[in-house]
Amino acid sequence: MEIEIISFGKIAELVNLKNLNIDGIKDTDGLQKHLEAVFPKLKEIKYKLALNKQIIHANSPLTSGSVVAIMPPFSGG
Amino acid sequence: MDRERYHRQLILDGFGTTAQDKLLNSNVLVIGAGGLGCPALQYLTAAGIGRIGLADGDVVSLSNLHRQVLFATTDIGKLKTDVATERLAAINPEVFIQSYPFFVTRNNILELIADYDVVIDATDNFESRYLINDACVLLKKPLIFAAVSGYEGQLAIFNLADENGITTNYRDLFPVPPAKGEIPNCSENGVIGVLPGIIGTMQAAEAIKIITGIGKPLKNKILNYNLLEQSFYEIEVTPAPANSYVLPKDSSSFLKMNFGNQKADIKKSVIEIDISELEDIRQKKNTLLIDVRESHEVPQLNRGEFKQFPMSALQNLLNEEIVEDHIILICQHGIRSLSAAEYLHEKYGNEKNIYSLKGGIARWKNFFTS
Repeated sequence: MEIEIISFGKIAELVNLKNLNIDGIKDTDGLQKHLEAVFPKLKEIKYKLALNKQIIHANSPLTSGSVVAIMPPFSGG
Repeated sequence: MDRERYHRQLILDGFGTTAQDKLLNSNVLVIGAGGLGCPALQYLTAAGIGRIGLADGDVVSLSNLHRQVLFATTDIGKLKTDVATERLAAINPEVFIQSYPFFVTRNNILELIADYDVVIDATDNFESRYLINDACVLLKKPLIFAAVSGYEGQLAIFNLADENGITTNYRDLFPVPPAKGEIPNCSENGVIGVLPGIIGTMQAAEAIKIITGIGKPLKNKILNYNLLEQSFYEIEVTPAPANSYVLPKDSSSFLKMNFGNQKADIKKSVIEIDISELEDIRQKKNTLLIDVRESHEVPQLNRGEFKQFPMSALQNLLNEEIVEDHIILICQHGIRSLSAAEYLHEKYGNEKNIYSLKGGIARWKNFFTS
């Protein structure tokens, strides 16, 4: 199954992919583990995940076509 | 009220005298007169807010001018609050501008924001952002948050109940501040000048919407803006589960909060120094001066005197067996050098004295360029 990844700021430089085939991955925890294995630098940065435009605070199931956004905090002004 | 001044918005469908009166009777506090604060202040003043508070302890510098469009080249070195107050009064003398020429701290912020209906966070660092967030939660003040990085911006309204009575705050997104050096700021990462112009203007727009009741303010949502793609991506924010973070329940516990900007927070053996302390320490034998900026950054320093170990290859510095007892780290603004100092402290513990030049080369420019 395929999902869409949207990333911002520093994360977009690290995670340079838009569509991801996630066969074998069922949920956002699994996705997070997968992304941090492929992009180890992700582990060093704070970020928040949103699933289908809604912030998630706990593990959530993924389905085909899910859109996952990876958002870091910005401080600049 | 000068009707002609506000004529074009008075004739707006759904605005009129009622909304204009609400603006005239309102007050807004803008914290930070930088890239975001300048456009926010200009539009709020022009729109006819009754009283605008402006807090910033900084002076205008040359590298501000590409984005802080309220200031001119001749203003360099002057207090931002002084220059801004003068310019804003010229734009609209009907608006009362209250200037606070200092940075917000946990000791002054509660008193400051208690006096305002709406708070705009236009600062440029995480310490201030968490401080402002927590103060606004405690005093139940609507907070218009914005931040920028590179070509992207974020905008959100916190502490304002939606139709279901739900409020959120910045800690529902990011419960604790990032570590020093984890997320680059504008002086390290860069920012295109027009970007805070767009996002700061949106902060003014949201303030006007909250005050007048027109439209749909961005409550419990964070808008991500990408200038290069010219795209917007809105994410709904929901309250984090209980105990995800702890907020002070009253002002006395607020005053005891650690917002990361107190000296005691820095690990004991990393000492932030000013230029005269640097001068003293470098006279000692066994002192090593390290510049952690990238090789393209200017001004270039004497490589014989300042050994270069760019932050992007920090491991090289950590692999180096330093023989000197005193290590002074410097960078452009004293942020990367502090982070590098903390890493070195982890390696050497109390075996060596490790210093970071506070404010960096930018603050002590005359010293480094003369």
